[in-house]
Amino acid sequence: MTEKDYNESVLLYADNVYRFIVKNLRHTEDAEDIVQSAFEKLWIHKDSVEPLKAKSYLFTVAYHLLIDHTRKAKRITLQESFENDTQTAYQENKALKKVLHDALATLNETQRSLVLLKDYEGYSYEEIGEITKLTTDQVRVYLHRARLKLRNYLISPQQVL
Amino acid sequence: MQNISLHNYQDFLLRFIDEELDLRETDALLAFVALHPEAQEELELLQSTKLDIETITCPSKALLYKNIFPVIVEPTTIVYPNKQKLFKKEKEKAPVILLKWWAVAAAAVFLFMMVRYGMLDQKVGSTVSKNSISKNKVSKDSPIAVVKNNAPTNTSIRNNAVAKTGSNAAAKVETRQNSISKNTLEYRAVQNIESSAIPTATIVTATETARVIPSYNGSIIDIKPTIIAEISSTPITPNEATETQEPNEIIETIDTEAASSNRSVMVGAFEIDKDKFRGLFRKANALFKNKENNRNEK
Repeated sequence: MTEKDYNESVLLYADNVYRFIVKNLRHTEDAEDIVQSAFEKLWIHKDSVEPLKAKSYLFTVAYHLLIDHTRKAKRITLQESFENDTQTAYQENKALKKVLHDALATLNETQRSLVLLKDYEGYSYEEIGEITKLTTDQVRVYLHRARLKLRNYLISPQQVL
Repeated sequence: MQNISLHNYQDFLLRFIDEELDLRETDALLAFVALHPEAQEELELLQSTKLDIETITCPSKALLYKNIFPVIVEPTTIVYPNKQKLFKKEKEKAPVILLKWWAVAAAAVFLFMMVRYGMLDQKVGSTVSKNSISKNKVSKDSPIAVVKNNAPTNTSIRNNAVAKTGSNAAAKVETRQNSISKNTLEYRAVQNIESSAIPTATIVTATETARVIPSYNGSIIDIKPTIIAEISSTPITPNEATETQEPNEIIETIDTEAASSNRSVMVGAFEIDKDKFRGLFRKANALFKNKENNRNEK
């Protein structure tokens, strides 16, 4: 891909990648760091990346960066919660959305990523499998589990009350 | 296609939410849902887990671009101050006048002649001035007195004629030189004459004048009017001198400058001999007349 293709990818996909990351992490600054890292990697490997594959390449890189980031965060055992830390938390406007996103937070990284890739980006099982390095069946199973988990969260007694 | 039942409809619903069913499966599921209200309720719950698409803008998106923010350079208008001076107006061409061939030919002939003979004449003129004496038909045998005379006279005076009345030529010589006698007298006779009688007389001998008067000085050719005198060997008394007799000797005053000026015409820097051109013009005229005649005959 050329410089022009790269910049076009920024124009088209930066927001999508950011949304994917910020919904996963619920942390804007970390999400920005990951997005920047993903695009930096795309720039470095732009000669080997075809323009049509740029989006999936970005999501793949971003997903793995996300996993790495999450694992690193777990090792550090951050004490602060998203709500209390000094970093900016993603603000939900509507109550239902807030509940849903709370439910999303209860998912593990893989499930959350699969849901986000599916709902936001509209990727198929195969495409998600390519991004996440999972098989199509794995994607399908993990995704269904995530949906049921969300459903259970939504119909849980705390949310009903 | 797998049949939808109460045992597996949830899987169909999840795939329906994920938009992974084909058209036939979708139709079958919707038919099943329509028949089973619990399936309908389950479908609504699962649909609520689907995330609505949000538009979130990456705050640091601008930092991701590489070398792209196009620098818009506004075109600056630079006006050259001396532009008016650069404009050029083409000069009007002089009208071309077509000359007749014979006119051109005549001009060419004229120019050729002018150049050739004019230059030749100059050369000849210089040689003439050098040998002016010989050109003026002065015999080598007779001793010649050449006296400088700037007056534009072209007359040759005989000795006796001058003696009688004080001829014009002699008078001119007198007025110019103030030292030349009215007559050219025999040397001895003149010695006897009192200086008061002919106060400004000078005796000029052939040998003296030959030495005294140069006819050519370097590059400048000076054509000098001369008095050529043939000195007689017989003694003449002062009375005789005044009264002069039959001319034995000829005093010739030949003004070569005047003579040549009458014959020649100055055209620019060139001196052209009239006589030569007369002949040329006659020839040219004859040629043209012949041609005209030929045409008329035809």
